[in-house]
Amino acid sequence: MTPIVHNRVLLALCLVGALAALYGEFLNSAPNRLAGSVALPLWQAPLLEAAAAMAGLGALTVLAFAAQVKLRSYATLLVAVLVLWASLSGAGHFATLLSSASPPAARYSLGATFWTLVAVALLAMLDAVQRMKLALALRVGLVAALCFGFVLMAQAGRFADLSLAKEFSSHRAIFFSELGRHLALVGAAIFFALCMGVPLTALVLRKAKACGVVFASLGIVQTIPSIALFGVLIAPLSALSRDLPFLRDLGVGGTGPAPAIIALTLYSLLPLVRSFYTGLAEVAEDVKDAAIGMGFGARNLFFAVELPLGLPALLSGLRVATIQAIGLAAVAALIGAGGLGAFVFQGVGEYALDLVLVGAIPIILLALAADFIFQMLIASARRRI
Amino acid sequence: MIELHSVSKHFDGAAAVENFSLRIEAGALFVLIGPSGSGKSTVLRMINAMIEADQGKIELRGQDIRSLDPVQLRRGVGYVIQSVGLFPHWTIRENIAAVPRLLGWSDAKVSARIDEIVELLQIESSLLQRFPRQLSGGQQQRIGVARALAADPDIILMDEPFAALDPLSRAILQEELRSLHARSGKTIVFVTHDMDEALRLATNMAVMNKGRLVQSGAREEILLHPANDFVRDFFGREAMQLRLLDIVPVRARMKRRWVGAIETIAAGASLKQALNLMLARRCARLRVEDESGARLGEIDIADIVAGGHES
Repeated sequence: MTPIVHNRVLLALCLVGALAALYGEFLNSAPNRLAGSVALPLWQAPLLEAAAAMAGLGALTVLAFAAQVKLRSYATLLVAVLVLWASLSGAGHFATLLSSASPPAARYSLGATFWTLVAVALLAMLDAVQRMKLALALRVGLVAALCFGFVLMAQAGRFADLSLAKEFSSHRAIFFSELGRHLALVGAAIFFALCMGVPLTALVLRKAKACGVVFASLGIVQTIPSIALFGVLIAPLSALSRDLPFLRDLGVGGTGPAPAIIALTLYSLLPLVRSFYTGLAEVAEDVKDAAIGMGFGARNLFFAVELPLGLPALLSGLRVATIQAIGLAAVAALIGAGGLGAFVFQGVGEYALDLVLVGAIPIILLALAADFIFQMLIASARRRI
Repeated sequence: MIELHSVSKHFDGAAAVENFSLRIEAGALFVLIGPSGSGKSTVLRMINAMIEADQGKIELRGQDIRSLDPVQLRRGVGYVIQSVGLFPHWTIRENIAAVPRLLGWSDAKVSARIDEIVELLQIESSLLQRFPRQLSGGQQQRIGVARALAADPDIILMDEPFAALDPLSRAILQEELRSLHARSGKTIVFVTHDMDEALRLATNMAVMNKGRLVQSGAREEILLHPANDFVRDFFGREAMQLRLLDIVPVRARMKRRWVGAIETIAAGASLKQALNLMLARRCARLRVEDESGARLGEIDIADIVAGGHES
């Protein structure tokens, strides 16, 4: 009897993982931060973790042939957690062993095999969670448990000898302030975009003529590359800050947070206004007609009918705008606005890949977290319709 | 009760309603009928100020509606539309309570009123906690009617409320509306393009065409004396006599004589029911009784035929 593949995604992931384990490098070892590196494959890593990772891949491959969804998904979750642990712990353990026998300047950075195994484990989990239709609360619990486990390992010093961790700890003091700045940039941009987007939406809903002009102009803004928009704002803002002292006192200048917030606000407007517009315009005409005919005034109609029925669309616009702003705020570091992008550009400048990751990984995690939170809000808003 | 004086309304230059005057008495079940695009819905929506008339005056309970706040006006007038328009995110109970809530009624008063409405319209109380999407079309429109009645308005406007329902639900709701009207004495303005529905429900009716009033009056009067060819055609020239059978009671044609009939029919039944019984039993003569079973007289096929009108 030929076995049947019941989960092609899982099988494909395992293949990718196995290729990476065989042909990629698990760690890169370099004598110092700038020197060229030597690749260290997975099979040279500590036996326990290397074996666990390979066994885990093997088990996932077998699971791809399991027919029963529920059982397979639970098993996949467990095995994926094992692979994730083996990759993280293996890398940390490996680096600790190597560094005990080499000078302190030596650097051990994470290699392609490591990243591929982590990605395979996370994707296998995501796939399993979706296939088994895991309840929302359990998904939150799973994410929390994974984060908790990671923090525990980090607290125990498991990663201390990895260069990524070294970069992180040498920038720890400014890391949290840059993270705060990044969130502040995004928060301010979304706040100002809401302040402008709500009246703009009211305008396009009332005046069909304004609709074309507003969406065309917002569309043009959206097509301007972010670096260009940041650049274009420098000259007028410098002039303003030179001529109007009170603006200068507020911290407005050609560079820094002011142009960044303005640009991020402009970029956020299109997704916000477009989704607000469709959300409110698509509230069923008959429901509005009945409400008006019963004596709902404009305010009652908006708060009791249009807003709750348009809420999922409003939230999905807010989701797109937020995720987009989190990504674009990284570029704002180029004009001195700070934020996590500062690490990325500093790392690129110094040719220190690990410093780039100190900025890039939190940006990705922020975007994923924002996505996750908005998905939950949208799901709960939708449940009431 | 409701009066329209030379009302006109144009949309983008085209006349939707032209020089339209009408008086609707309190307690009438008044049917506005006409083909699609004849302006009947526009007239209805001008009565509750959802559309503002370009010219003319509309009076509601003796007051010019221009002098009233449109939102307050609408809270005092029930409104039912074809697509129902229940709020999908509210339970049935919350939907019914919508206007009382707008009017700021206390919880106790709203609750008591919902109990009354549920009883009046025979709504299963298990439906109250459900959401609109969990109800059938007929159930939804019953809730739509309940919602319009909730704040006990003396006037109810209905815009083709049963047009989208299956024939069975439609017939049931029509019958309920008729009995509701008879019991409550409310003024109901009912828009439809369905002649059978109009004849079944109306105490009075107005026929509209191309934005103008063609004829208004009691339904028998319009059937017996159509003002022109349009009304005749609209009522269906050939079927007009048959339609009359539906609305004329046996009492109006029976004779006090005793030839000897076996089958019995109630005096309040329609001629159509009498004819149907004759056909079913293959007899030409029926004995007519009142509600108590007392013999009033007889009706035969010749009595029915003799009552026909030239058209």
